[in-house]
Amino acid sequence: MLLIVVYVVIGGLLACLAAHLLPVGGAPAAMGTATGIATGTVQIMLGAAMTGLFTAASVDTFTDSILLVALSGAVGATIMICVVMFMANIIYGFGAGVVPISGRVDVDPITKEPQAPYKTPQTDGHGVPIVVFVSGSLGGFIGGFGGALMYYTLLNYAHFSAGTAAIGAISIFVANAILAAYNIRGTIEGFHDPKFKRLPYALVASFAVSLLCGIVVSLTAVLGGTL
Amino acid sequence: MPIEVVLLFAWMLVIAFLAFIACTFEDLESDMGSQSNPNSQVQLAAQVGQVNRFFNKAISGEPLSNALYCVTAGAIAWILLQQLEPLVPGAEWKAAVLAIPIGVLGAVVMNVIFSTTAHCGRTAAMKRFEQPIYLDVLYGHLMPIGAHAFMTTFCITCIAYIQSNLGTLAGNPALNHPFALPLLGFVWGITVGSIGSSTGDVHYGTEREFQDRPFGEGKRVVYHGKITRYASCGIRTQRDIAGFCAKFGGPCTGMTFGLIILFTNWTTLVGMQLGGFLPNLPAFTAIGDMAAIWTIVLGLLIVAALAVGNVIFVKWVRKKCGPFVGV
Repeated sequence: MLLIVVYVVIGGLLACLAAHLLPVGGAPAAMGTATGIATGTVQIMLGAAMTGLFTAASVDTFTDSILLVALSGAVGATIMICVVMFMANIIYGFGAGVVPISGRVDVDPITKEPQAPYKTPQTDGHGVPIVVFVSGSLGGFIGGFGGALMYYTLLNYAHFSAGTAAIGAISIFVANAILAAYNIRGTIEGFHDPKFKRLPYALVASFAVSLLCGIVVSLTAVLGGTL
Repeated sequence: MPIEVVLLFAWMLVIAFLAFIACTFEDLESDMGSQSNPNSQVQLAAQVGQVNRFFNKAISGEPLSNALYCVTAGAIAWILLQQLEPLVPGAEWKAAVLAIPIGVLGAVVMNVIFSTTAHCGRTAAMKRFEQPIYLDVLYGHLMPIGAHAFMTTFCITCIAYIQSNLGTLAGNPALNHPFALPLLGFVWGITVGSIGSSTGDVHYGTEREFQDRPFGEGKRVVYHGKITRYASCGIRTQRDIAGFCAKFGGPCTGMTFGLIILFTNWTTLVGMQLGGFLPNLPAFTAIGDMAAIWTIVLGLLIVAALAVGNVIFVKWVRKKCGPFVGV
């Protein structure tokens, strides 16, 4: 029972961390007014986690290693987020003639290329530049790992059915992603964004919520007779 | 190679093709109703004095609304399948041919009802800004929205049906996905909406919605709300927008989802094949672990290729377009 609570808490904390790493541009990014993926925190995180969960569920049918299932979920989510960021850049480049540029830093921390001269005035950057892509990939990996970890725990330790485990894992995931969305308040570019420093507050809240979720899952398993 | 394995790969390609169609139409459906993030500009337009003839149906975020339609369609189809399959033993596909379109039709009715209430409700709330509810705009957009939504939901429900019966279709029922049809509809409904919202919106929001502004720059805050209201002939409605986005934004979005489905399924199947897991299925052995490791390695290779591709593309665009030269 303790193992269920521990893994759910770890999964929840990873989900919260991942949401801070994803480049969330929100509605402004859809107009090329902000850097990042043009949708909300929860929506893109949920899309990535779902893809990861699908891969993890497939892999779970032929291996009983928790590490391999969690890693396959992580890779599935990373593939989803990478394809989305790459194709968004294609549309920014060819469809709108916009250069992917960070609005929060003057020099890309990875490639050291200047950003400010390429930025449109009165915008907060546009597209998915390289540092943002790296941060987003990390976010997808960590989020997918956390989601798949919770799925495996609910399926194999709490002995839920596959469907119930998936819905349970996603529900805990969403709760943590929403907490992160409150902390982000709008847009974030990734680990290089000043807003990333707010992460500890979200992690404390995430720990509390995930602990509660872990206890509820354990109680459900005990009362339902599966544990 | 055994026929079961060949069939598995063939069905995977069918699924990827359906995913391409589904997400293309999902993006166009959101453009047709102005549902997603660029809707903020349609909402803002009347408030800054730009009375317009845009359809305004921000029902909810795209992932959630699409999940709703796909789960509705999946649940109706699943219930009908439970009833109809025993009537046609040995030819269960006949039940699917009837059940899936009926389920999707139910979801489309729900979509059209939501579209009507969302448009009327939102536009009525703008009365103080003198934005009328144009009845021809309302009537003229409901059918295209419903038709696009039908295509999206139909393809997603077909994907869910194929995946939940993949093993049976390929000759080995043990390979069926552990999730039930409505749950797979939920998974792919969320994902298709998430991708349509994050990828396709860019073409509509950054380009088409502000087409009378300079090309090649992010849209400045001062432009917000001042959307392009006139078409090449007459006043612009969403039908002009969907036709434009169907030439680039829609197919790109479709390709995004198609590639995601292709890569995630492909890595799993090739991993199973390389691990020696197919066509026999020894459960929970070292062979299974090996298959999982291959799946992960192949996935990481794809991620690396995408990262390299992105670096090359970003550097190329920077060089091609150069620094910002406007004012």
